[in-house]
Amino acid sequence: MSFCLLWVIWIKIGRIWMTEKKVLIIDDEPDVISYLTVVLESNGFRPYSATTAENGFNLAVEVEPDLICVDIMMPQESGLSLFVKLRRESKFSDIPVLIISGLEQEQDFDFRKFVDSEDVSPPDLYIEKPIKVERFIEAVRKLTSSTHVKK
Amino acid sequence: MSKNSTYKNKSSVTAIKADKNGVVGDWFYRELFEQVPFNMAIIDRDFNIVQANKNFGDYFGRWKGRKCYKVYKNLDHPCVGCNAQLTFQDGRVRVSDESGVDQHGQEAHYVVHLAPLKPHKGEQVKYIVEMSRDVIETKNLQMEYQLLFERVPCYITVIDRNYKIIRANENFRDVFGDVHGKQCYEVYKKRKTKCPNCPAAKTFKDGIVHHSNQVGINKDGEKAHYMLTTSPLSRDINNIAHVIEISTDITATKKLEKEVIEAERLAAVGQTVAGLAHSIKNILMGLEGGMYVVGRGLEKDNKKLLNQGWEMLERNLNKTTSLVRDFLSFAKGRLPELEMVKPGELVKEIVDLYGKIAEDMGIELAVEKGARVKRAPLDPKGIHTCLTNLVSNAIDACRMSEKSKGRVTIKVYDSNGNLTFTVSDSGMGMDYDIKKKLFTTFFTTKGGQGTGLGLLTTRKIIKEHGGKISVQSQKGKGSTFKMIFPRKRLNDLYDDGKQK
Repeated sequence: MSFCLLWVIWIKIGRIWMTEKKVLIIDDEPDVISYLTVVLESNGFRPYSATTAENGFNLAVEVEPDLICVDIMMPQESGLSLFVKLRRESKFSDIPVLIISGLEQEQDFDFRKFVDSEDVSPPDLYIEKPIKVERFIEAVRKLTSSTHVKK
Repeated sequence: MSKNSTYKNKSSVTAIKADKNGVVGDWFYRELFEQVPFNMAIIDRDFNIVQANKNFGDYFGRWKGRKCYKVYKNLDHPCVGCNAQLTFQDGRVRVSDESGVDQHGQEAHYVVHLAPLKPHKGEQVKYIVEMSRDVIETKNLQMEYQLLFERVPCYITVIDRNYKIIRANENFRDVFGDVHGKQCYEVYKKRKTKCPNCPAAKTFKDGIVHHSNQVGINKDGEKAHYMLTTSPLSRDINNIAHVIEISTDITATKKLEKEVIEAERLAAVGQTVAGLAHSIKNILMGLEGGMYVVGRGLEKDNKKLLNQGWEMLERNLNKTTSLVRDFLSFAKGRLPELEMVKPGELVKEIVDLYGKIAEDMGIELAVEKGARVKRAPLDPKGIHTCLTNLVSNAIDACRMSEKSKGRVTIKVYDSNGNLTFTVSDSGMGMDYDIKKKLFTTFFTTKGGQGTGLGLLTTRKIIKEHGGKISVQSQKGKGSTFKMIFPRKRLNDLYDDGKQK
């Protein structure tokens, strides 16, 4: 209990001290982009967005985000294919990635079902659409905090 | 037939010279008696064997001074219902089927021909000549044939020209019931009149074997599916008196087939529900997003956010409407209404419909010319829907690719008994995980535009035709969708439809 209180206080202090974390959203649905943009802004993050995997990758090179949220089903190139590309790029191999999709339920999501390249480790987190705002924000905070250690 | 019978004296028989009184020498009759391919024995009125030939001795063993019933049957008294007795009384020739014992004590089956020997007209019969011939092989063959006919695991009936069943095997009687004096259509199909399209009638007419699939009704009133072969039972093609009908029961196979189709249908329903859930989740995300944004707009008194959120709400409500509409049209389970159509014309219709639209986008839509394709029983509306979906997908794939010049090609051809339609595009292609999801859950890669039901509906229509759909795709190169319809299945479906 007291630990929670301390943690909240620490976060509040951290907010003032730290610069805004950059979060990149990649989704072909403009409504998802609008939604997550407003959610992230309201919670003190700086959102960037792209509607295709390719633009997303270029934007990532440009802004070097602290976290990338990506949808799976997109025209041309799927989010998972972009994820594999990011993991294989030394520059981004450690960047946290959050997969957001309506395809599978959270407990059922099996990354290996889609990608069987053993050299690629699974994404940091999978969140099911429609998102729960609190849970999403909590996940974004956790993944962008400097204490977040990669698996 | 005795093995040691030969015809080496045949030539001497033809060269026989009678003496001037027209009498042939005794040696000739003796020789004849010895050489005929029968067991010959002569008995007197007390059933003593007075003379027998070598064949007889070889077959029945010792006979001199013995009674015929002892030698033939190893009995100590005359046979019950003795035919020789009767012939001695009335002097008539008799033929009978007998069982006895040969010289090795083995069971013997033989046919006996009894002929009276009368010394002079009007006198009583003194001797009888008994000519017998072994029929054990014939008997065995008959038994085997009988066993085969009765026990073979298929239905066999023999019918005459009036379609009356004159023989039926055990298996048939067990399944279809009593056949005695009944017409084949009564027993096979519980009909009162001859079947239309009767294969037996064809065989009576042209004398050749006909194969067909039939549905009958067994004695318990249940449907029986069987594959029927009708063959002429006569060497004379111009005068066929009987037709033999042999059929294999495929009811169990049909049932399994039905179960598989049912299981597939259920699986498809499951996938559809999963796909529907995916679409609804996306719409929910949009609606919740709209609410969230409107909420923030109210909180901050920000008109821009209010407008943005409101638009999101409107957009996703409209999506709900169109999803439900598509879903209902998908869920409408209708059987394909097959008619004989030219596949090439169906393709031409699509080109007429989409050619202009594609051209305006800088995409070329063309039909690849090939050999002329024969008519096929298809549901023109259904196939039109399939082609529409595939072609509009192909056009979209070209539009989404960076290449300046897109090309969509439709082809229709026959190969290995399959009628095949292909729709290829030079568009962006698909990567592995999209391909994998293509037919399993209905999703769309077209963002807000698609409901993800097009391909699912396409697959459903193809399956209803007994066909399958396959896809080949290379990322960045393009995709090819193939609709494959086995013509045999199409024809079967068409025939089934006509019978209903």
